[in-house]
Amino acid sequence: MKKLFIIAAVSLLTQGISAQNIDRSHKPKPGPAPVITIGDPVIYKLSNGITVLVVENHKLPKITASYNIDAGPITEGAKAGVMSLMGNMLNEGTATKTKMEFDEAVDQLGADVSLGPAGGQTSALTRYFNSAFMLMAEGIRQPSFPQTSFEKLKSQTLTGLKSNEKSAKAISARVVNALAYGKNHPNGEFTTEASINGITLDDVKAAYKQYITPSRGFLTFVGDIKPEAAKALAEKAFGDWKGTALTIPVLAKVSNPVKTEVDVVNVGNAVQSEITVTNLIDLPMSNPDYFPVLLANQILGGGSESRLFNNLREKHGFTYGAYASTGAGRFQSKFSATAAVRNEKVDSAVVEFLREINTIRTVKVAAEELQNAKNLYNGSFALGLENPARTASFASNILINNLPKDFYRTYLQKINAVTTDDILRVAKKYFNHDNTRVVIVGKTEQFTEGLKKAGFTVNQFDNYATPVAAK
Amino acid sequence: MAISGLCFSAFAQKVQFTEYDLDNGLHVILHQDKTAPVVAVSVMYHVGSKDEDTTRTGFAHFFEHLLFEGSKNIKKGEFMKLVSSNGGQNNANTTQDRTFYYEVFPSNQLELGLWLESERMLQPVINEGGVKTQNEVVKEEKRLRIDNSPYGKFTEKIFRHLFDGSPYRWQPIGSMEHLDAAKLNEFIAFFKKYYVPNNAVLTIAGDIDLDKTKSLVKSYFAEVPKGAPVVRTPYELPPITKEVIDTAYDANIQIPAIFAAYRVPGMKSRDNKVLGMISSILSGGGSSRLSTKMVDQKKTALQVAAFNYTLEDYGAYITLALPNKNTPLNDLLKDIDEEVLRLQTDLISESDYKKLQNQFENSYVSANSKMLGVAENLANGYTFHNKDSNDINKQLDVIKSITREEIRDVAKKYLNKNQRIVLYYLPKK
Repeated sequence: MKKLFIIAAVSLLTQGISAQNIDRSHKPKPGPAPVITIGDPVIYKLSNGITVLVVENHKLPKITASYNIDAGPITEGAKAGVMSLMGNMLNEGTATKTKMEFDEAVDQLGADVSLGPAGGQTSALTRYFNSAFMLMAEGIRQPSFPQTSFEKLKSQTLTGLKSNEKSAKAISARVVNALAYGKNHPNGEFTTEASINGITLDDVKAAYKQYITPSRGFLTFVGDIKPEAAKALAEKAFGDWKGTALTIPVLAKVSNPVKTEVDVVNVGNAVQSEITVTNLIDLPMSNPDYFPVLLANQILGGGSESRLFNNLREKHGFTYGAYASTGAGRFQSKFSATAAVRNEKVDSAVVEFLREINTIRTVKVAAEELQNAKNLYNGSFALGLENPARTASFASNILINNLPKDFYRTYLQKINAVTTDDILRVAKKYFNHDNTRVVIVGKTEQFTEGLKKAGFTVNQFDNYATPVAAK
Repeated sequence: MAISGLCFSAFAQKVQFTEYDLDNGLHVILHQDKTAPVVAVSVMYHVGSKDEDTTRTGFAHFFEHLLFEGSKNIKKGEFMKLVSSNGGQNNANTTQDRTFYYEVFPSNQLELGLWLESERMLQPVINEGGVKTQNEVVKEEKRLRIDNSPYGKFTEKIFRHLFDGSPYRWQPIGSMEHLDAAKLNEFIAFFKKYYVPNNAVLTIAGDIDLDKTKSLVKSYFAEVPKGAPVVRTPYELPPITKEVIDTAYDANIQIPAIFAAYRVPGMKSRDNKVLGMISSILSGGGSSRLSTKMVDQKKTALQVAAFNYTLEDYGAYITLALPNKNTPLNDLLKDIDEEVLRLQTDLISESDYKKLQNQFENSYVSANSKMLGVAENLANGYTFHNKDSNDINKQLDVIKSITREEIRDVAKKYLNKNQRIVLYYLPKK
């Protein structure tokens, strides 16, 4: 009976609604822009230097916390892979619990706790959060480093390396960074079977001692928790912790090729080739170019409405998607344009990539195109607020990158002030054309000739970015 | 009936919503949440690869692409631009059972979302040009996601046997030959049959005014003509009674894998939920049985997993393992089988049972934390659970009501060797 009543009520409601007049032939006008408010997280500093950030949000009965150590890029050298092994070892048991007991304690709460080379994180229902948080802290502060776990992780790492041996995607990720940054740079070095075999448990313990520390640490709480409660918990778990003081490394600058080069790696089983056009850039977030670069990247290849996607996918059907991304920060980072393209269209796709890069460097973008990109950023900014953790990442970004306090409050203002001249200027400055690097990982026999015909010099490399002598 | 009393349990949040039908049969679900200036607009069409002709597989997924090509009032190539240039995000995805299109906008662009989705439903442009472009794009997608992807072919291999005799035997990506052979009028006919308001759910979640939204929905969608009722032939598959063994070769891998797959009931069934719990016992979290035994103690596996690949009419319960240190695949299978047998024989402990409840509650809370997730979950309820959009609020109560005995009995009923496919997945030399 009750159910019938509800149905009747619903149908009455429907009849009561009248339609508004609309004109389908035009895009409807937006309502007034929503007011965007960014709250400030509550920030404390523990006496050992840990910065505590708390974003209170009681919408869901859940809390997440993370501890992140800002050590900057770490050079591992001959021991490449040691940081990752060390991070995994933090999940292998503590002074008071075997791995099995630790995992059981976490799962019993229905919680997640994971630890890694830069800290750890946890999420749990509110009623279990304190216990989950203390487990995370225990994992960070008192790992037991059992030898058997170390052997297990080493053998898993070796098997994992082997499993990716033929993956064009994995090879491309490794080779692109190695060629762009050089193999001795923290971003260019990579793990190999030899480097893993050379790592001992003592290396892992040494890495732990050096890099897992309160120094430059950020402890963030987001969710159904009061700042006072978070602070008390932070004190309880980390207040008396001491560790090595970290300083951010200074890295030598790496230069880009003098003249555009094409570097290829042969993967015989590939049905698609991974193409990357890339150059290194220097772009701290505090640089006024930061905002025009965001928009220039968006116009060139930020998404499915951007130029690369429209050219390589929608116009030519070479690929499922083509994108560009531009890094920023305290250290050199990459501009890159990428796509996975079927082997026989690789040469044509490279030509189109370079054409699009050249165009955005030499021809002013249309006012409308810029406006569209701005609208996208304005929208994404609003959409991002659905995630309460956003406020915390804003605050820690400001601290880490030494940005003005109002960086995110004036973010959209700065986006909206960018001009078409700015786009042209930054595209020329950050997106290389005559001195860039094209890296292609795939079935080389299907595209090398085509590339040579198009006038490129083609350099061959093996899967580990070592030059292969031309036959 | 007994379950309704549990709805008042103290945990988790209850998702409030309003729902009704337009005269053309379009089901509308509205969920209001003003915590962020965001609105998700979505349409779930009850069409997937299982609705395809056996000689025209891949149509539903192809439409996912085709319906971005434009409409009477939206020029070719403009659809996605209209979304992004107005600050939104959009995408779509296709399964065996349904296709889901969505936009997420700042809340002042609600009307734009309604315009886009109503144009798509009312008057999309389906022509040779669009078919040709998307044909190439879909082929690239197949190369990317399947042909070039390590372990990308296991579902195709398994489903071919497990669902032999039903449309679940092919994958949503379909056959490229079928797509090449298809004529324009076949695409148009497929659209007219399935992409009709009476086969769709419009779900809007976020920072909306309910009355205003209802009025706008009527303005944009009421004029879409009702289609013929969609009639589906149910497929009854004969039970599998003998173990089937097959081998797949993949040029993209170096490490082999072993899969075992069992045919299980579809998403409406209670047993489906029980199987979800079984997955959690076997491989959810560090303390789960397979991970502890094979990855941590014996160290024979690099990875091990058990999951329930849920479909509307049936499901595939799949276990898999990748060896560590060249462990023979049969040893891995034997270890997995032992754990399955243990589930079939012994009740799980009270403490394991409590653990399961906590894990499910945590993941449930997270699943409804964003507006798009809420929209999809509401639409799923209506589309797949006998038009019960409120299914979203019942899921946890069902989990709570499942007993330890039921877990044992379901494992016993479905996870038997003579009812399964074993797939050896090997590197291609």
